[in-house]
Amino acid sequence: MGEVELSCLAYVKMYLHGCLFPRCSVNGLLLSSSPAGGTVCVTDCVPLLHSHLPLAPITQLALTQVDVWCAQTQQRIVGYYQANACVSDNSPTPCALKIADKIAEQCNNAVLLMIDGGKMSPDYRVPPIVMYERKDTRWTLKDKHTIMLRQWEETREIASQLLDSGDHSLLVDFDSHLDDITRDWTNQKLNAKIAELSSPANGNV
Amino acid sequence: MGHVKEINVLIIVFTEMRDKLRKWREDNHRNSEQIVDVGEELINEHASKLGDDIWIIYEQVMIAALDCSRDDLAWTCLQELKKQFPGSQRVKRLAGMRLEALEKYEDASKQYDSILQDDPTNTAARKRKISILKAQGKSAEAIRELNEYLEQFVGDQEAWHELSELYINEHDYGKAAFCLEELMMTNPHNHLYCEQYAEVKYTQGGLENLELSRKYFAQALKLNNGNMRALFGLYMSASHIAASPKVNATVKKANVKYAAWATNQINRAYQLAGRGTKENKCSVKAVEEMLESMQITMS
Repeated sequence: MGEVELSCLAYVKMYLHGCLFPRCSVNGLLLSSSPAGGTVCVTDCVPLLHSHLPLAPITQLALTQVDVWCAQTQQRIVGYYQANACVSDNSPTPCALKIADKIAEQCNNAVLLMIDGGKMSPDYRVPPIVMYERKDTRWTLKDKHTIMLRQWEETREIASQLLDSGDHSLLVDFDSHLDDITRDWTNQKLNAKIAELSSPANGNV
Repeated sequence: MGHVKEINVLIIVFTEMRDKLRKWREDNHRNSEQIVDVGEELINEHASKLGDDIWIIYEQVMIAALDCSRDDLAWTCLQELKKQFPGSQRVKRLAGMRLEALEKYEDASKQYDSILQDDPTNTAARKRKISILKAQGKSAEAIRELNEYLEQFVGDQEAWHELSELYINEHDYGKAAFCLEELMMTNPHNHLYCEQYAEVKYTQGGLENLELSRKYFAQALKLNNGNMRALFGLYMSASHIAASPKVNATVKKANVKYAAWATNQINRAYQLAGRGTKENKCSVKAVEEMLESMQITMS
């Protein structure tokens, strides 16, 4: 099928989400600010849960709120990501498939992204991700060559830096937001930090 | 004069660190990076001042070190404990945990088996064996073993909660609900158990379960009116019931009222939260719109 591009912002936040809750399964939504058709450009992500992923109420709530926010900000939900607590098994769980199916109803080239926990060490050379796309009614593995991460080295560097400086604790997922609703699940602060690190002034790009 | 002040500051720092560790122990906090930070310094710089506290601190720091892949530190702590308490079951269990951290599951299992040979009632060793099954992804076996364990140790809250989590991951909501019912019975004032039970019921679906979920979300709120999950849960379950074609007018009216009340509370909470910070303007707006749109579909 089509090509998928993953932005630095989306990748870094997903990665940090996994790092922030190393003992839990985590999940989130992939967003795009580009118009539909052609390459799927994942430009941002919203980290959702780190507990009770299969339970319905909070997932439904989060999907609805993110939907509303996307409409306000001209973005679309184009995919779903998950990292399993058990790093030896990175296959999509039934709840991952369910949520991805729901997203595919609204977005016909939606992607399902599994983070490979076992490959997340600091010296990894390729992105520790596995992507699936919908063919007929089943989610099938995407050809690696159709997945693009521009400036991969810089992206990886930024993720490492934020982890080392402890800034990954700035990340707010929907679960954390419900624990303290003054915290911002759109992560404006963290987004700004990531933008700063990836700007040409810092010698990147 | 300068010296005295310096020493006073050091003493304050030392007691603060020791007290922090104690608080985290008592609250059973798993903030392992912090524990390693504070604990390592305490052990390295202030061991002599700790007295008998040092042993429990070694244990606490060792477990935290395993959590952070600091095998060097864990090993040091383990050696000190082995020296002081040779042949202790408690230290044996710590040695087992280190083997688990190194993914040497068979060796760890043997370690726990040897503890259980000497002391078949050693609950810690039994639970570690179940944790190994969980780490290996053997959920069905972990569930089976945990059920067997609970037949003997029916009052172990931690075990009941662990079992409910395992069932939730297997999508076995009926059995998860049963575990949470046990927990609610023995902990009637715990709002988290009520709220989790409500979430499981909501997930099971169907009118009866939705009504139950609404009742337990309400109960959770009674126990803790700051529980946002319960508040949103109440709103969503009441809305779904009101929108169902199977309910009569009275039930519909009642649930519309519950949902309206919840909407009010949610709006108030977000207005309060939004004051003074620019940060969560996005989420405030998103909630407002969501509540509006859901109300439209409901009527």
